[in-house]
Amino acid sequence: MAESISIDAVSKEYPGGNLALKDVSLVVEPGSFVVLLGPSGSGKTTLLRCLAGIERLTSGKITIGATAVAHDQLHIPPDKRNLSMVFQDYALWPHLRVRENVAFALRRSKLAKPDARARTQAMLERVGLGQLADRYPNELSGGEQQRVALARALVAGTGLILCDEPLSNLDADLRERMRVEISALVRESGATAVYITHDQAEAFALADQIGLLQDGRLVQFGRPEQIYTEPATPFVARFTGLSGELAVRVAGQDAASADSTVEIGHDGSALLRPCRARTSASWASGGEGMLLVRPTGIHLGGITAGDHHLTGTVADVAFRGRGYEHAIDISGHGRLTGVFAPFRAQRGDTVGLRLDPAGCHVFPVAARDHAATANGQAAATNGHAAASNGHAATVPLSDVGPEFAPPAQQH
Amino acid sequence: MVSRPGAGQLTATVSTKRPGPASAGPGRRGKLASHARRLLRGRSVGGLIGKPIFWILLVLFILVPCASSLLLTISPHLFDQQAPGQGPQWFTLTYLRQAFTGATAIAITNSLWVSGAAAGLGLVIGFPIAWLTNRTTLPGRQFVFPSMWLILLLPSWLPALSWVRIVQVDGVIYKLGLNWPWLSHLIMGPFGVVLLLGLRSVPFTYLAITAGLAGLGQEFEDAARVHGASRAATLRLIWPMLAPAIWSALAINFAEAISDFGVAATLAYQSNFTLATYQLYADISNFPPSFPSASAMGVLLVAAVAIPLALQARALRGRSYQMLSGRTRQAVRRRLTTRGKITAMSGLGLFYFVSLAVPAFGAVSTSLLKNFGSSFSISFANYRALFHQADQLGPLYRSLAYGAIAATVTVAGGLIAAWLLAQRRQKSSRLLDFLLLAAVALPGVVFAAGYIFTFNLPIMSRLGINLYQTATLLVIAYIAASLPTNARVLVGPVSQLQPSLRDAARAHGAGEMLAWARGVLPILSRPLLMAWLLTFTGVFLELPISQLLYAPNNPPLSVAIEDNLSNYATNFGVGMAQSVFAAAIAMAAVGVVLGGYRLLAPAGWRRIGVASRG
Repeated sequence: MAESISIDAVSKEYPGGNLALKDVSLVVEPGSFVVLLGPSGSGKTTLLRCLAGIERLTSGKITIGATAVAHDQLHIPPDKRNLSMVFQDYALWPHLRVRENVAFALRRSKLAKPDARARTQAMLERVGLGQLADRYPNELSGGEQQRVALARALVAGTGLILCDEPLSNLDADLRERMRVEISALVRESGATAVYITHDQAEAFALADQIGLLQDGRLVQFGRPEQIYTEPATPFVARFTGLSGELAVRVAGQDAASADSTVEIGHDGSALLRPCRARTSASWASGGEGMLLVRPTGIHLGGITAGDHHLTGTVADVAFRGRGYEHAIDISGHGRLTGVFAPFRAQRGDTVGLRLDPAGCHVFPVAARDHAATANGQAAATNGHAAASNGHAATVPLSDVGPEFAPPAQQH
Repeated sequence: MVSRPGAGQLTATVSTKRPGPASAGPGRRGKLASHARRLLRGRSVGGLIGKPIFWILLVLFILVPCASSLLLTISPHLFDQQAPGQGPQWFTLTYLRQAFTGATAIAITNSLWVSGAAAGLGLVIGFPIAWLTNRTTLPGRQFVFPSMWLILLLPSWLPALSWVRIVQVDGVIYKLGLNWPWLSHLIMGPFGVVLLLGLRSVPFTYLAITAGLAGLGQEFEDAARVHGASRAATLRLIWPMLAPAIWSALAINFAEAISDFGVAATLAYQSNFTLATYQLYADISNFPPSFPSASAMGVLLVAAVAIPLALQARALRGRSYQMLSGRTRQAVRRRLTTRGKITAMSGLGLFYFVSLAVPAFGAVSTSLLKNFGSSFSISFANYRALFHQADQLGPLYRSLAYGAIAATVTVAGGLIAAWLLAQRRQKSSRLLDFLLLAAVALPGVVFAAGYIFTFNLPIMSRLGINLYQTATLLVIAYIAASLPTNARVLVGPVSQLQPSLRDAARAHGAGEMLAWARGVLPILSRPLLMAWLLTFTGVFLELPISQLLYAPNNPPLSVAIEDNLSNYATNFGVGMAQSVFAAAIAMAAVGVVLGGYRLLAPAGWRRIGVASRG
């Protein structure tokens, strides 16, 4: 039966004073597939290991189902939490055969030997390794080892499956195939899954919900579409894929607009004409901001029609099968990357760029990257993102996240 | 069109390189030149000449002595001219058969069971020490590693002699008024031999198990716990993953114990408990010598060393214990309870007491007893004698020089051998691998016997190789005996070297030598230094080869100490003072070399060593 998870104000400090988790709170619905996304050192692995019981909390509380498994005075060991896990390096015991590795997870089910054997074999068949049950892990390819680790996690039918960057050791082609298999098999099992990765494309492809971590804090938690279309902080926007950034001045906020857009003037920026952008902040006229532009928010065209917001010079062009991606230099304001067009613009050409409000997000110049609310909880993007305040360095146009192509991109 | 200034010059240069009339046709000189170019293609002249010389030296000083030490038993006539009366047979199994009867059979039986027991004892003591220092918060664990090296560096005869002096009937304990004949009987017999050989095996076990634990990442334990295994069940699941380390420790322990000469020639001999290595020595040094019998014992010893290696191979056959992880998560240290700490430290303390403190006390106290005999009065008379008696310091200087020369040449040769071994694809490197492995397994006393058989042959004289009973041959034997171990120690670091390091230096204008010196040597400096120290300390106090091959009137240190000690009435105390002084010199040399490296080596060199240790 799928388990719910409640993580309440969890902090973890390692000996030596390294605060790996800071006041993280999160609720995971039974049967959902949650991906914790963040860069190296953001605390996602620590959070997963705290869930597994491999690490002890410093403070806070974790509840799995109806049972509190960890708080200040309690630490239920991993073997008593009735969960399973896929490890980054698979952690297959090299002296046990494939069958024995998988069957190990059935020990606590106390099944009769023939039943356990049959269930192990059935699971191995399900992951396509029925013929390889008697092999040792070193006799398998990377992808096969990954399947064994997955089979071991699934065979006992636990209500919670944890996955610690399970695809990071595979090559690109195999990674994509295994991602589909993991998604299908875990959902078929009905278990709740918590999966960690630093790859935003993998996170968007797998998740029902994504939790974004930065420096030990959960900065946003929500559906992939919400994370992409309503990033709570500049960090979230940058980490989930940008073409570039542009210093702008806000001309005014449309109070009547349902999706909180602002009118951006062209004073002091590279903009030739005003454009609209989404925001989660309240703006006064003339406020300075950073315009963060998604690849989906730029349309490349000529300059004769006169409907473009920016002009630039094509610095590079790359054929991507379904079309072309361009890098465009905006004179004096840096570079926009991943600018898609179904046609090839030649290097050195002057082009016009039209900005789409759906892919443009404006944050106050002083926006703090941690979109923390007063109680430290993550911004829950249920349509209203958290207010941002604080400070961040003003960066000119940059080339963050050029390779990310979001699922909703249409050209 | 704009002409480029360099273009004309380039054309001119190319045209001068064209073959002139003399080499244009397929003449004899042209053929020779092209043949030479083919030979030299991609190789330096040094490499072309150096490799055959290396192989010739290897064959002459390792392969031939090893082979003759084993061959003599089945073909004594081959060696009849050097020691007439050995036997007229070109082929016979008589001596091998004889080895299974009488004193030889007793000696080899003793060696077999004693070595087996010592290997087991070494594992039983070494495994917990390795576990405690690597996986728990044991206080003072950082001192365990250097202390293990200290035990390794001291020759086995030193603690054995100390124990003898402490427990023998008129020994130190009796002088202290402790009338404990039971202890004398216990130590002066098989138990004492097993105990000392077992304690000597502990560092080998410690190093092997530590290496095994280092590869055993935390995730294997985590995976077991997450999937429902209790702490005890996790341990049961994990320990077979250490099987390679355990088997390797047992094999090394057994091989080291059965080929040991130091304990065999001291404690075991004085307890009338004959071991195979001493029997072999006696066969050669007694009059008349029986070379074929010694050779038969050598064959049995080598066969005995093969037993644990075969068992190890059998146990691990078809299994891979390769840790799959490239990103092994460092294991978490278990916090010991106060009771756990007390128990662990008491056990460790007992180990150091028996293996280091008692021998140190025995040696120092004996060296400080005047005219070792009736009373227990402390005096520095033995040390005064050491510095004033004629020819007591000569052997010390001699062994220091032998050690330094042998270590330097061995490290250079070991590096070449390791480099050749790392070229796995070549057939010659596989042959070298086998040859060096076989030589590692050959006990020192068998090796030295092979030198006597080989370099005493009339054919050597006819070839102009008159090395028998010279210091040169002794040093060559030291080098040849140390080279296989040295090459094995260095092959790891050499294999890990990225070829691109040297290639990058070459591509950026460095010659072959400079590329090695600048691009490779700094990275290998620490392993090379450790290999040098290992050889130096080993040679400085080496016994079996020294005993059999030293040049008359020029005894090395260990032989001089043995001579003093055997002259029980007058020079025993001087011998012990000499031992203590020698051990102190060996430790001081290690300190000076390591300290010198720390102070003088460029910071970048030291960083590499530290990083690779971490």
